[in-house]
Order: sequence, then C-alpha cells, then structure tokens
Amino acid sequence: MIKVENLRKEFKKTIKEPGLKGSFKSLFRPKSEKVVAVNDISFDVPKGEILGFIGPNGAGKSTVIKMLTGILTPTSGRCTINGKNPTVNRKSYVKEIGVVFGQRTQLWWDLPLRETYGVLKEIYEVPEDSFKKRMAFLNEVLELDSFITSPVRTLSLGQRMRADIAASMLHSPKVLFLDEPTIGLDVVVKDNIRSAIEQINRQEQTTVILTTHDLADIELLSDRIVMIDKGSKVFDGSVSSLKDKYGQIREMKFETDSKNASERLGYAEKFGFGEDDLSVEQEGALVTVRFNSSVAPISDVLGYTLQRVNVSDINVKDADIEEIIRRLYKQGVEE
Amino acid sequence: MRKIRRAMRIHRIFIAQELKRMMEYKGDFIVGVIGFLLVQCSNLLFLWLIFANIPSLMGWSLDQIVFIYGFSLIPKGIDHLFFDNLWNIGYFIVRKGDFDKYLTRPVNTLFHVLVEKIQIDALGELIVGIALVCVTLPRLGVEWSVLKVLLAVLVIPFATLIYTGIKTVTASVAFWTKRSGSVIYMFYMVNDFAKYPAAIYNEVVKNIITYIVPFALTAYYPALYILTGENPLFNIGMTVLAAAVLMTLGVIVWHRGIRAYESAGS
Repeated sequence: MIKVENLRKEFKKTIKEPGLKGSFKSLFRPKSEKVVAVNDISFDVPKGEILGFIGPNGAGKSTVIKMLTGILTPTSGRCTINGKNPTVNRKSYVKEIGVVFGQRTQLWWDLPLRETYGVLKEIYEVPEDSFKKRMAFLNEVLELDSFITSPVRTLSLGQRMRADIAASMLHSPKVLFLDEPTIGLDVVVKDNIRSAIEQINRQEQTTVILTTHDLADIELLSDRIVMIDKGSKVFDGSVSSLKDKYGQIREMKFETDSKNASERLGYAEKFGFGEDDLSVEQEGALVTVRFNSSVAPISDVLGYTLQRVNVSDINVKDADIEEIIRRLYKQGVEE
Repeated sequence: MRKIRRAMRIHRIFIAQELKRMMEYKGDFIVGVIGFLLVQCSNLLFLWLIFANIPSLMGWSLDQIVFIYGFSLIPKGIDHLFFDNLWNIGYFIVRKGDFDKYLTRPVNTLFHVLVEKIQIDALGELIVGIALVCVTLPRLGVEWSVLKVLLAVLVIPFATLIYTGIKTVTASVAFWTKRSGSVIYMFYMVNDFAKYPAAIYNEVVKNIITYIVPFALTAYYPALYILTGENPLFNIGMTVLAAAVLMTLGVIVWHRGIRAYESAGS
C-alpha cells in the first residue's frame, strides 16, 4: 500500500565560522556543503500494519516522515500510497493521510476545540452526515466530550494530543502518521493514547506509521520495526526478529550481602566477555548484570554467581527491546 | 466553477474564524478599535497639515492630489485587509517550520496562506481612502460614462493584486533564505511613492514605479484615466497586465519555493 523506493534527501548546509566576523564572512562569501540526510531508503507497508519507525536523534527519521507526508520534496526516489505520489499531486495524496506531529498542533489555538473540527470538515470536504458519525466515533475512542467546548489554549497536553489525533482522523485517512504521539505525557495518558491508536487501527484497518523514542509504544503497538541510522535503513523486521537477531543480552538481578560483588565475581575474566558484552552495576544490595548469552550460557553464569557470592534473591530476564535498541544506537549496527 | 465555489466557502469560513478569534479576546478587541480610530484621526490631521500648505504641485490641484492619494489607499487597504498573512511567511512561518501544516492539507498552499488571516487595522486605510475619494470626486468635474464607471470599478481588484503579487514574490524568497521579511518590506515600501502623481518624480523613479515595482499602476495611472478619460488602454490596461504578470510570477516562484522548503528540525 505504501511504497517507498530509494528515497534520498540532500540538504545544502552553509558553513559558518564562529562569531560575528564569521557571520559577515559567510554573508559575502558563503561556503556550503552537501549533507545527505536520507540515503537510499526503501520499504513497503501493507494495509492495516502498524509500523514502528525508529532511530536515534538526527538519524533522518523526521526527514523521511516529512517526505512521506508531502512536506519535503525528495532529492531522488519516491514514495507512493496506492499509487499516488505527493510530488505529482499533493492535494489528492494528502487526502489519504492524517498527520500528527506531537510537538506541533494544527488546532486553532484561540478558539474552542469544536471550531477546529468545523473548519477541517470544510477543508477535507467531509459531508455533514459522515462528519456526525465520525465525531461520534472519535468521541468514543478519544473521549473528547469533556473539553470539546474549551478553547484549545486551555487544554492539557494529553487532551491536546487526543484532540490532534482526532483532527487528523476526521477525514478517515487510510494512513495515519504519528510523530512522537506520547511525548511528554504521563503513564496513564500514554496508555489511553496507545489504546486509542490500537482501536483506530483495528476498527478501521488504518495503516499507522509511528515514530517515537518511547520504545514501549513500539513494543505494545508495532507489528514491525524499521530502524534507520545516519540516513540509512539498518533494520527492517518484526519486533521478535529484532530480539532474535540482537537480543542475546540477558539481564540478571540479584540481592547479596557482599559489598563488592562485581570485583569478587570477575565475570569478564572468567567467561571472556568483551567490553560490549557485559555491564555490572551494584546499588546497595541489588546487583544488575547484563551479559551476552551467546558468549556464556545463562546456566553457567547463574551457577557461577550462586557459587561465588551469597545470594538472597535472583531473577533472569529476557532481553527487553529497550536494552537492544540502546546497544544498537550506541554502537551502530554491524551487518 | 465548483472549485471557485469551494474557494469562496473556505475563504468565508476562515474569515468567520478570525472574527470569532477577535471576539474571544474582547478587551483586546475594544482597545484595538479605539487605538485604530485614534491612529486614523492623527493620519487625517497629518494629511490636512500637508495639503493645506500645497495649493498645487506641478500643475496638479490639491483636489486632484488628494483624489490620487485616496484612490491609492483603496487597493492597498483591500490587500492589507485580506492578504496580510504573507508577511508572516517572510518573518515566521517558514523559519519555524510551521509551513508544514499547509502542505499536509488538501488546499492550495498559497490560497490557504492568503485567506487564513484578516487584518482589521486595514479598515483604517480603506475608510480614509474611500472618504477622500468621495470628498474630492464631486469637485473635480469628471465626465462620467458607463465605460468609465465600469473600468474604474474593475481596476480596483487588479490594483489590489499588484500588491498581493509583489508580496507573494518577495515572501517566497523565504523558502530559500528562511526569512524574507526585510525583502517584502523593501519592495512594499515603494508604494509610498505611489500615493502622489508619478509626474512629479524624475524619469528614473517614474520608470521604476511604473515598470519595475509598478505601484504607480495601482493609483496614479487609473486616476489619470478617471480624471481625464485619456488612454484607457495604457492607464487601465497596464494595471490589469501588471497584476496578471505579478500574480503569475508569484505563483511560479511560490511553487518553486515549496520544492526548496526545508522545514525545521523536530
């Protein structure tokens, strides 16, 4: 349904020397260099999928999303939704999509929320009867009733986000782009937003492209992850395949009366862990050990630990996605 | 036809939103209206002081000069009232990445930007302009014909589009430079020359305000036709032509600019 083919975006960046003098210099003799923000990215998204689109800050995520939403024109390559191309016919393309940028709002700031929906209804040419049905549905999913008559400037961040999602869904788009939809929200509100996204996806088969730094969003919602770094795609697959591929890290936690457990245990020497394969932290009695289970099997590490120190409570956890991503962001992905 | 109806509908809705927004902050609105009336009074006083001391200027009578002055304020005021949002493109919207919003909506971006805001202050120019025209016109002994009335009314929207076109071209520069407020300002301010008969300037200035930044076509030349009935082909035709050329240029540069638009990091 969404087809992204060899997408590339270059920016021209002016190089400025520091200070006022540098600014003057660049005013009269500007120097610029070409920066490749997105380099040859391709992927497909089938109808009804929730795609988690992730990558560290500055990886080019926003640039890709902005090309997919018709905001930026690609330097080369293209993206299409059901064959429609934003650089060819932007207006018919954007009717198919809804866009929410968590850090911006498209609501009319000074007016009661209801007014925004009235205007968007006209902009998207939603007929009166389907508008009513639509508002009823969005009301049910996002619970707008309690603040729909309040001016937008008085809404809390969580209310505003719900209102913005509703605004982007008013014209029943086939694809919903959500850029950081849970940024700055508390746990309960995050849960509400997530279940709303899930409900919209389930009931209407809306395809969702989700960018976020909160990996719980990804883990709870996404069927599939595309990860980019330094402008290139570095991973494309399901959450579980990401775990299989990079998830050999296990986390073991135990309590002990030993003050300097990490020195006494000396995992690195014993099992030959490299620097990236192991981390040991001790906080009071609680010791957290993260290790690469492909270097040493869990049973060995567990047995060895129980032998060497006095352990009162112990558990070993499966790799969680956050840990995997943290490692990938830090060291980049080696293929 | 359907497209025009839709455009008018959207325009009407945006204006309604703006009026509601003004009502939302009633105190600000009332103070704004009072301030606006004070400014207009002082403008009128200033005009009176100037023109009371010039009985005639290079063959132009006081009434004729005031008529041109008043006529120049009408297209300027209409553009200012309806299409003032272009200034924000030059100063904020592009630089802050807020232009994203327009690109994700199924409405022509230039149209959307143009009609999104109204600037009530402009009513001052419009009221003063119409008043000056109404006061001076009966005293000028103009010979009216059906054609003249028709052309005099018809020329106003085209004169307005000369303003809008110049602002569109200069505002679009922001897509490349991120900020073009000063560029708009520089060109826009040339309209100060257009309030007076172009004949009083030297050839260089006259040619600039006729052919390059053609604000003289928004007042002096149409007024010349109304006063003398001479050469409608140039005096009115050039205004129509300039409006068409500038708006076309504006639309082209605007859409080129969108391709160069870089948004802002988020």
